Amino acid sequence: APCPTPCRCDGDGGADCSGKGLPAVPAGLSAFTYYLDISMNNITELPASVFRNLPYLEELRLAGNDLAFIHPEALSGLQHLKVLMLQNNQLKTVPSKALKGLHALQSLRLDANHITVVPEDSFEGLLQLRHLWLDDNSLMEVPVAPLSNLPSLQALTLALNRISHIPDSAFANLSSLVVLHLHNNKIKEIGEHCFNGLENLETLDLNYNNLLEFPEAIKALPNLKELGFHSNNIAVIPDGAFSQNPLLRAIHLYDNPLSFVGSTAFRNLSELHSLIVRGASMVLRFPDLNGTENLESLTLTGTKIDTIPASLCEDLKLLRTLDLSYNEIEELPSFQGCTKLEEITLQHNRIKGIQADVFRGLASLRLLDLSRNQIRSIHKDAFMSLTSLTNLDLSSNALLTLPTSGLGGLNQLKLAGNMDMKGSLSAKDLQKLRTLSVPYAYQCCAFGGCDAYLNTNPDQGSKSDGSRKKIMYSPGEEVCEGSVAEDEGERIQLAVHCSPPTGAFKPCEHLLGSWM
Amino acid sequence: HRQNPGVSHGCQGGCATCSDYNGCLSCKPRLFFFLERNGMRQTGVCLPSCPSGYYGTRSPDINKCTKCKSDCDACFNKNFCTRCKAGFYLYKGRCLESCPEGLGPNDQLMECTTI
Repeated sequence: APCPTPCRCDGDGGADCSGKGLPAVPAGLSAFTYYLDISMNNITELPASVFRNLPYLEELRLAGNDLAFIHPEALSGLQHLKVLMLQNNQLKTVPSKALKGLHALQSLRLDANHITVVPEDSFEGLLQLRHLWLDDNSLMEVPVAPLSNLPSLQALTLALNRISHIPDSAFANLSSLVVLHLHNNKIKEIGEHCFNGLENLETLDLNYNNLLEFPEAIKALPNLKELGFHSNNIAVIPDGAFSQNPLLRAIHLYDNPLSFVGSTAFRNLSELHSLIVRGASMVLRFPDLNGTENLESLTLTGTKIDTIPASLCEDLKLLRTLDLSYNEIEELPSFQGCTKLEEITLQHNRIKGIQADVFRGLASLRLLDLSRNQIRSIHKDAFMSLTSLTNLDLSSNALLTLPTSGLGGLNQLKLAGNMDMKGSLSAKDLQKLRTLSVPYAYQCCAFGGCDAYLNTNPDQGSKSDGSRKKIMYSPGEEVCEGSVAEDEGERIQLAVHCSPPTGAFKPCEHLLGSWM
Repeated sequence: HRQNPGVSHGCQGGCATCSDYNGCLSCKPRLFFFLERNGMRQTGVCLPSCPSGYYGTRSPDINKCTKCKSDCDACFNKNFCTRCKAGFYLYKGRCLESCPEGLGPNDQLMECTTI
């Protein structure tokens, strides 16, 4: 089969003439060519009937040329064309006349041109078109009339344009549409019925726009599974916001100046797996999550919530991560029903005490952050069932002592900032500890925190009398490898990174006298 | 401001900056940046459309190629396939091993179609 230079043909109907600096469509291609790639050349226009000898063409790639004009008859005869790629060119309008005869076309790429005009008759006759890219152009409005000619369209992107408003019934005839991308426009307001007709829509992307109000129009989208409106200017998520979208799996709403979230906004979303709401500063009550039983990750921070409902773990049995930091929570319910919980973050609240049953039954919990609260007391059995806990942060509280039963598996413990906790800790209860922060340096001594006077020569191996060898990690950071065994037979090698480190002015010996 | 000796501005194809070893480091506007794998080595290339098995995401800062799902050969975005791999039938952007009720497998098109 003929294959004009500089093209490469695969002998099976495929011809690749891309990136060859061609000024025009090469002549002399086989009549049986079904795939032609002439992208990344210097073709500025397509004259009439330029593909008349390629009646079997199914895929035509013209991306990355300098196409500014396509003759109305340029694509005539391409009855079998399914894929047409015109992205990354210089088109200012949709070549509506040229597209008219492409009855088999399924995918049309017009992205990254300079299109400001979409003629009314654009896309007429394209009854098979399923995927349309119009993103990264200069559209000022949704091309409502042209889009009404596309009964088979399933995926549409109008992202990266200058659309500022979506009128009612903008997509009314697009009953097959499944994906709609509108991100990175200037959309400030949308009609309350602008999504009417989109009963099959599953993905709606409104991210990076200027929306001031919650898009109530989503009520027309019963099959919506993924909704994005992050990076807008929305302050309020109303009650019942998603009541008509029971299949929602993901909601991306971060980077909005949220101040209020209706307490019933997230009810009955049984497909939702993750919910992240940050900084809704005027929210007073914990949201009602009844019926949202498959939630695995809940982040709700920066509110005025002071109480966690006792029924939380009846509703959310599958919860694995819970972040309720930076609220005003004073008391904790029992999380007993949330048996799959792995991470709980409650830092920066007003918690005063931990009862015996708060963390009962949480055998999967690995990380617990209770820092920056006002915790004075912790029930001695509070950590009893936390057999998987490795990371506990109780720093900056008002603790006097720490109950250590159940903490045998810890490798990181933070207690700094509990200035009333002056007693020493028992190393034998915390044998797997690797990192420890304590209120006072002398408390490091129980974990091999050595005194600078005892061992000055780092190269000395550990002496037969069991005294300690000093290893310098980096200037100022001392870690001591040594034995803290109490009886002769048992020798626990413990490399604990303990802070604040003991040093010249805070030797271990002067345990009883305070150098404060 | 000393220019990085490794980065060159006289590059091939759609690159804006490149280096001998890594190929394209950044692309001319509106092209997609893609990392081509040659054994252990990765080379940056700039394309007008992403290769098969990847979809393009445009944004004001960078246009990048992201892998489609494992059962999909070509896709519009992560969750919407336009051509499935062998053995799967395409239905509303999803690749299914068997078609939903009321639809039948069309082995020529590899799609689920009305019976």
